[in-house]
Amino acid sequence: MACIPVVTLCDIRITLWFGDALTRLQAREGPEFLEQLVGLILLIAAVQGIFRFLQRWWIVGVSRRFEIELKQELFDKLCGLPLDFHDKSRSGDIVSRLTADVENVRMLLGPGSMYVLSALVFVPGSLFVLWRISPVVTLAMALPLLGVALAMGFLTPRLHSRSTAVQESLAEISHRALESFSGARVVKGYGLERHESRRFEDASRQNREAQIHFSKARGLMHAAIHLAYDLAFLPVLFVGGWAMIDRSIAVGDLFKFIDLGFKVFWPVIALGWIGGLYPRALASAERIQALLSETSHIQDPPDPVPLDAEGIEGELSLSNVSYRYPGAPGPAVEGVHARVPAKSVLGIVGPTGSGKTTLLNLLGRLCDPNGEVRLDGIPPRQLSLATLRGALAYVPQDSFLFSDTYRANIEFGAEEELTDERLAEFIQAAEMTAETAQFRGGLDQLIGERGVTLSGGQRQRSCIARALARDPKVLILDDALSAVDTETEAQLLQNLRRAGEGRTVVIAAHRLGTVKDADQIIALKNGRVDAQGTHEELLERSDWYRETWDRQRMQKELEDL
Amino acid sequence: MRAPEKNARPTEELDEDADVVATKAWDWAVLRRLMRYARPHLRMFGSSFAVLIALFGVQLCGPWILHNAIDGPVTRALEASEAVDDGSVDVQPFLRELGFWAAGYLGLILVGALLRYKEVSQLARTGQFVIHDLRSHLFAHIERLELAFFDENPTGSLVTRVAGDIENLNELFTSGLVVLLFDLVKVLVVLGLLFWVSPELALLVALLTPVLIGVSIVFRGGARRAHRRVRAQLARLNGYLQEVLSGMRVVQIFRREERVSSRFGERLRAYLKSNFRTIFLFALFYPIISWVTLVIQASILWRGGGALYAGTLTFGDFILFWFWLQLFVAPIRELGERYNVLQSAFASAERIFDILDKQPAIAPPARPTPLPDPFRGHVRFENVTFRYGDGEPVVRNVDFEIPPKKTVALVGATGAGKSTLVSLLLRYYDPSEGRVTIDGVDLRETTLASYRRGLGVVLQEDFLFTGSVRDNLVLGRDWVSDGSLVQALKASAAGEFVERLEHGLETEVAERGATLSTGERELVAIARALAGNPRLVILDEATSSVDSATEARIEAATHRLLQERSALVVAHRLSTVRRADRILVMHRGELRESGTHEELLNHGGIYARLHAMQFRDLDGKDDPTG
Ligand SMILES: Nc1ncnc2c1ncn2[C@@H]1O[C@H](COP(=O)(O)OP(=O)(O)OP(=O)(O)O)[C@@H](O)[C@H]1O
Ligand SMILES: Nc1ncnc2c1ncn2[C@@H]1O[C@H](COP(=O)(O)OP(=O)(O)OP(=O)(O)O)[C@@H](O)[C@H]1O
Ligand SMILES: [Mg+2]
Repeated sequence: MACIPVVTLCDIRITLWFGDALTRLQAREGPEFLEQLVGLILLIAAVQGIFRFLQRWWIVGVSRRFEIELKQELFDKLCGLPLDFHDKSRSGDIVSRLTADVENVRMLLGPGSMYVLSALVFVPGSLFVLWRISPVVTLAMALPLLGVALAMGFLTPRLHSRSTAVQESLAEISHRALESFSGARVVKGYGLERHESRRFEDASRQNREAQIHFSKARGLMHAAIHLAYDLAFLPVLFVGGWAMIDRSIAVGDLFKFIDLGFKVFWPVIALGWIGGLYPRALASAERIQALLSETSHIQDPPDPVPLDAEGIEGELSLSNVSYRYPGAPGPAVEGVHARVPAKSVLGIVGPTGSGKTTLLNLLGRLCDPNGEVRLDGIPPRQLSLATLRGALAYVPQDSFLFSDTYRANIEFGAEEELTDERLAEFIQAAEMTAETAQFRGGLDQLIGERGVTLSGGQRQRSCIARALARDPKVLILDDALSAVDTETEAQLLQNLRRAGEGRTVVIAAHRLGTVKDADQIIALKNGRVDAQGTHEELLERSDWYRETWDRQRMQKELEDL
Repeated sequence: MRAPEKNARPTEELDEDADVVATKAWDWAVLRRLMRYARPHLRMFGSSFAVLIALFGVQLCGPWILHNAIDGPVTRALEASEAVDDGSVDVQPFLRELGFWAAGYLGLILVGALLRYKEVSQLARTGQFVIHDLRSHLFAHIERLELAFFDENPTGSLVTRVAGDIENLNELFTSGLVVLLFDLVKVLVVLGLLFWVSPELALLVALLTPVLIGVSIVFRGGARRAHRRVRAQLARLNGYLQEVLSGMRVVQIFRREERVSSRFGERLRAYLKSNFRTIFLFALFYPIISWVTLVIQASILWRGGGALYAGTLTFGDFILFWFWLQLFVAPIRELGERYNVLQSAFASAERIFDILDKQPAIAPPARPTPLPDPFRGHVRFENVTFRYGDGEPVVRNVDFEIPPKKTVALVGATGAGKSTLVSLLLRYYDPSEGRVTIDGVDLRETTLASYRRGLGVVLQEDFLFTGSVRDNLVLGRDWVSDGSLVQALKASAAGEFVERLEHGLETEVAERGATLSTGERELVAIARALAGNPRLVILDEATSSVDSATEARIEAATHRLLQERSALVVAHRLSTVRRADRILVMHRGELRESGTHEELLNHGGIYARLHAMQFRDLDGKDDPTG
């Protein structure tokens, strides 16, 4: 920090030396003093150089540190935001906030603040020095600088709104690209390359127009600032010339005006540059702020019961649970009551879109329902997320894996690193042993983004292995056998039954065979409980259940014909 | 533990070597390529250049006016007053002359302001036009690349190229290239003017300038490498961010926020470290340049002071020289900043050209055989073997055909290679051996557009785009009519749930269809496949997440629709494939059995076993054999 005044004051001092030298020359003092003076100037300048290095190193370094801290904070924020936020936001837009917007703010804070700070020292410092030479000229010189402030005040709102448009069109570009690339299979399958390119071109063109529009406002700002600056030389020329004719100032003094004017030039131009930067940074800061001020309604309670996941038995109870997605016309789940004793099995069935996944999400508190979901009788406002989620393991319906090694993906579930034997055990339970043995890199094989190098069934089974690696009290399976063949399915079911011993298992499925042995089954219909009970009871109570059961049996008989 | 051999190797895993040898290309090569994009906009570049020249003129004139004022009226007034001892000289004429110069100066700076405005807006405009072209070109090129490219490159990093890297290049065009070229002109012109004012001092300047340039050159090498690393790290960072965003559900439910956050932190720190290298370089660069500049100025004072004293140089000349010297040094001093911008932009340009240099591996031949529209849909796999990359074959010697208007089903254990066959049929990849033909034409011989146009595809992991449900069904295919939409919605059973949606077909769908249930997404995908009136329908596990009542209805409806078309259906649930004209059983990459449902049951092989398994639970028996 202290570097900035040192650097600036050195700058002013050097100019004064130069000016005094000219005055002495004009007074026809011999040129001998010059050598000594030049030596002194170079020495001081070398010292100044060291400070200049420190100044830059320090300020730009700080701004980079700030950048990563901000990025980290945004990242952590995103990790804490609930699913309904992520469902509705576009990742391209978010990525753009973490890149383009953060960069804009950083530019203001780093290089921007460096120039502002040095301008803050330089401008008053120079004016003070010049004032002592000639107050009139100084005053006349300083007036146009006020114009800079005026221009900035006038133009900033315009720059601001235009740069918001630029940032938004940039986000649209990221979004388009991201979506098109992640949907590459569909794009190619339908030969949509041209279509996508055209849409992208539109987004890009929009950005171009927004940028051009913005640059016009920036141009005005630029012109205003340069004009103000150039105007400052007018009094130097006229009044200064007059004063010289009057002999009230010497040529060296005029030089000081000119040279300091020149040096003031940099900070002032920089201010102009910041004048352009500032609204941009402001627009970006607003977008960042909007993200940071998103609140998560899913928070740890203020004083949770002190209990870690180990102490959980696994009893679940749902009382009058309803959930409605934000913006949805009706609830996706409504009025569900259930008690799932510890270590028992709950099956959830129902037609497509009946709310099975939603209900399972509520168990892990991925969304907060009306009504209450209790674990071991503890209501959510007393249960910390760490305890709740620590006790759960979840196999999502769409098998998501990370582009990491196979091992890392399984260990993702576990609290600590797994020994090779344990790992092999889970892989075996998920019926993946034979296939992982085929991997060229063994378990350290990289599996590509979302696990693209695995088959659909392999991905799904890997998700099961990941969940088992967690050694959970409550195991949640969302249609987790949909992508495997019947033989593997039968085998997996058997393994799961074994693995499920001593745990509470909640399993959603379309094939009734999967849930028929459950201690309790809930049949959902349009988000409401259609019927609830054991397999036999449901056959009695629910038409839908009976029909589906019959259909699945009938198909068999039909085929056996 | 064996070292991981990387099959799908994320290209962003940068080992330092790969990074450094990325290109040996000298700036000019990159620059020349960039210039190609500038060529269509030469006129704009021309007018930018004109603005810069005019502005330069204004900049030169300012000091000249000052010089004339000092050496003119001011000096003459001083001389006149010295001549008259009592100093009572009439200064009016001198002041009037001074006023004249001041007015000239005022006019000049007004013109200057106008030019400044133009400078910014015109340069930005030029740059934006080039950038837009380049960006669209890059995107279209990526779209043309084969699927394996997308498997290998993290999406986030590709996005960074079309967004971040291109944005970075923008700087090159708006504040880099033109200005840089122009700076060169400026330096030369001003040097000439300096010689005109004072040859002796100018010679001094000319002798010292190479030091300045030398310093820049020394820094260049380091800066370029450092920037390259920064850009690559940034892409990696964004890739990770994007990945975590798409897996947020898993991250949260497994309570791995801290773990992913610390991994993100690691990447951030790696990025910061690379950044510090560039910061250090430039923190060093600027002070050195400033100091050398001061050496030049000081020596001017030293030699010039002597000349002033000796009277061989006027004060006006000295001040003019000083002013112009600033104009001379400024571009050289700014060379540092421009270099920073330029190096960063070059690093980005390299990453962009790196992609543009990739030729699509799956492209039509020079003289393709176009398929008739509509084609008949006779598919043949002739002895097809396929391996991903250079791995083991995943599919071996597969040989089968789908006659026109017939439905062929593909069943088999998970990982047997069914989806791979689908990928081959879609020509996501080309077979390693053997060939796939449609109506007797090798897929490699025809154009992708004429082929894929006739397809209706449901992939195992299908994908919905943001936009309305209708957009997702139509997918920009102008031949999808409202009539065929209605029919497709009905056949896929998507109609009912779409009706229940608040805005029906116009309901907005979130990214990847996140606001629909998995089953609903499948229904939309099926409707989409049927809507285009395809000749060849490919359904890979299209109803795996749909309840059996709906599934049965879809099966009945599509059965009717498929009478008219060829179809390849992959399914684990045998009930969906029972009615196929032919069922193929895959096992470990090979075709093991083939026949109708009855034939295969009677055969008593893999199919019969799978079949028995499927219904075991429903019967309550443990080992029934059909
Ligand atoms: N992009 C890829 N790179 C490398 N290997 C791959 C890739 N895609 C698939 N494989 C491997 O090829 C094999 C066959 O996969 P494929 O997806 O064809 O199986 P599938 O029969 O469709 O299985 P499922 O029924 O589980 O979907 C698997 O072992 C898989 O790991
Ligand atoms: N994020 C969301 N925003 C708005 N609506 C949603 C969201 N996710 C699901 N829905 C709607 O809520 C209802 C229930 O969805 P859910 O995913 O729970 O169904 P499901 O029973 O799991 O279906 P499937 O068998 O297809 O998996 C559906 O109608 C769906 O469209
Ligand atoms: Mg679901």
